[in-house]
Amino acid sequence: MSETWMIAGAWIAAGLTVFLFSFLYKDNPFFKIAEHLYLGAGMGWWFQVYVYNILGPKVWTPLVNHDWMVLIPAILGLSLVTQFVPKISWVSRYGFTFLMGYGSGLAIPAGLSTDFISQIGGTIRPLSMMASMTPWAIFNSLLVAFGVICVLFYFFFSVEHKGHFKKVSNIGVYFLMIYFGAAFGNTVMARFSLLYGRFDDLYTFSASKYLYATQIILAGMIIYFAIHGLMNRGKKQAEAVN
Amino acid sequence: MIKNKFGFALILLVFAATNAFSALSGQNKKQIPAELPPVTDLAVIDMPYDVGGTALLKWNVRPTDTTDVIYKIYVSSMETGGWIKADEFPADARTGKDIDLPFWAWEVSAHEHAVKVELNNFYGEAQATGALFHFKVTAVKNNISCDSQVVSAKTVSNWFRLDRVNNLVLLIVIIIIFFWAVSHAKRKGLFIRRIAGLDAIDEAIGRATEMGKPIYYVPGIGGMSSISTIASAFILGEVSKKVAQYDSQIKVPHYDPIVMTVCKEVVKQAFLEAGRPDSYREDINQFISQDQFSYAASVDGMISREKPAAVFFMGYFMAESLLMAEVGATTGAIQIAGTDSEGQLPFFFTACDYTLIGEELYAAGAYLSKEPMLLSALKVQDFGKLLVMVSVFFGIILVVIGAKLHWDPFVQGILNLFKAY
Repeated sequence: MSETWMIAGAWIAAGLTVFLFSFLYKDNPFFKIAEHLYLGAGMGWWFQVYVYNILGPKVWTPLVNHDWMVLIPAILGLSLVTQFVPKISWVSRYGFTFLMGYGSGLAIPAGLSTDFISQIGGTIRPLSMMASMTPWAIFNSLLVAFGVICVLFYFFFSVEHKGHFKKVSNIGVYFLMIYFGAAFGNTVMARFSLLYGRFDDLYTFSASKYLYATQIILAGMIIYFAIHGLMNRGKKQAEAVN
Repeated sequence: MIKNKFGFALILLVFAATNAFSALSGQNKKQIPAELPPVTDLAVIDMPYDVGGTALLKWNVRPTDTTDVIYKIYVSSMETGGWIKADEFPADARTGKDIDLPFWAWEVSAHEHAVKVELNNFYGEAQATGALFHFKVTAVKNNISCDSQVVSAKTVSNWFRLDRVNNLVLLIVIIIIFFWAVSHAKRKGLFIRRIAGLDAIDEAIGRATEMGKPIYYVPGIGGMSSISTIASAFILGEVSKKVAQYDSQIKVPHYDPIVMTVCKEVVKQAFLEAGRPDSYREDINQFISQDQFSYAASVDGMISREKPAAVFFMGYFMAESLLMAEVGATTGAIQIAGTDSEGQLPFFFTACDYTLIGEELYAAGAYLSKEPMLLSALKVQDFGKLLVMVSVFFGIILVVIGAKLHWDPFVQGILNLFKAY
């Protein structure tokens, strides 16, 4: 890649990053540019993925090779497009029905296996090795089992949560909150690593090699906001006088 | 002369010694097979209850199966030669106890070696099922090896998985309970406890109507097969009905075109049921993008520009949850969220006024609509939770008793019952 393209790429990357970050100040034209570009690029990207990864290898190539079986899913898929033509939009129901039936058939056995049977087995299995467990490990396993029962009871809708039931339900809420707190901290740390990544790029693109892309874009935006702010203040004063 | 006699005697002695040594070593060689006899009772069958492509080799455990004896498994797709080493293990390992099948589908035996050979790993999926394969077992001790006879078998895909019969039984029980619940709900109705977050829906719609601002309903990024998206569509129907009654405005930005099509029908039906079909507009449901962060950026832009009075986040969300909820919070909108994506719930807690946690989202549709079908589904979910609670409670008691009394088959039996395959 030539140096000119490297510099152009750096300016685009730094510019779009700063434009999107500018939303933290307020909604502005720079953010709108980045937002619409992102939307268009995202749509374009997925369009080519569908064409080159699905339509081409999974429909076109088999048809060229006389594999007519792919016509069945292809027609079911095409039936969804009839939604755009109100007179024949009923055809799309066949596609949707297949999707829903297929989805349910796939999800129900997997859900039963993972949400019910695995949950129960996973909770009781550690205690099957009780003979070799330390007291702390036994306490830990019992605490997990107690937490599972209390949390499940919080989501039990068939009885009013009053009296002792409310106490069990409240303990379940405490378990949930501990989990959510841990999950929050974990995710925030992950997001910070993404933020550091962007800052690192901005720092890289601030070098003379990239013609000070970050500094110039930031300075340009600050000047814009300052002028825009001054002009708006002038307009507001004029409106107030009128 | 004496020299000649001595030389002759020496030659004789060397010859006799050589003969004696070779006789001794010959005797040793003859003894080795007696110490390490070849496997003579090797049998091969198709691995039961699988999708095919796996063979199961079995032979009896022998007195010579000590740690210094190694078994090597060879497989070939040809009549002669072409052997590939499929596995290797010490002779005191890999018995029938190591086969991962429950007690109702597999007779556990510690007196028999049982070794799975996954042919897919050597011949690819297409060839592994249906073709004839040949197997032999080589016992190795101190660099001396003995081959078994060659056995042959084909693997097949099985139609019925007996090992998963516990899943089937549970499914049948759940179906029976569902039909009972539907019939009960239609005749007498079913009780559902109050869900706090849902009472705020009326408040949010009322506020939007008073302020003359729109309501945003974000159904998340799940597909139509996602349970949370299905629950979200039910809640959308109830919210839309109230919006139509109050003559307020609603906007539903979509990530998934199929979800959008379903939601269009749901909203249209809701306006019809509310007696306001004239208020329904085609642009209530808008397709935004099927790229996660483009969708988030665009919804953020829409919310920050239009400053809605209320925002609903109901469905499946991932990393975009906080991006959208935070922007909604800064605009001062009343925000109600609901998702079963547990990683995102903390963000909704921090940025939204009310949050429906996991199952509460599923319950919300039933709670709002009081539809017998939805109420029945909720009852079945409750039955499932009750089943898990009771099974965990009694399962732990039984397993602890079994472990303390060293009833290993009993403990294994209980663990098998709650094993997902």
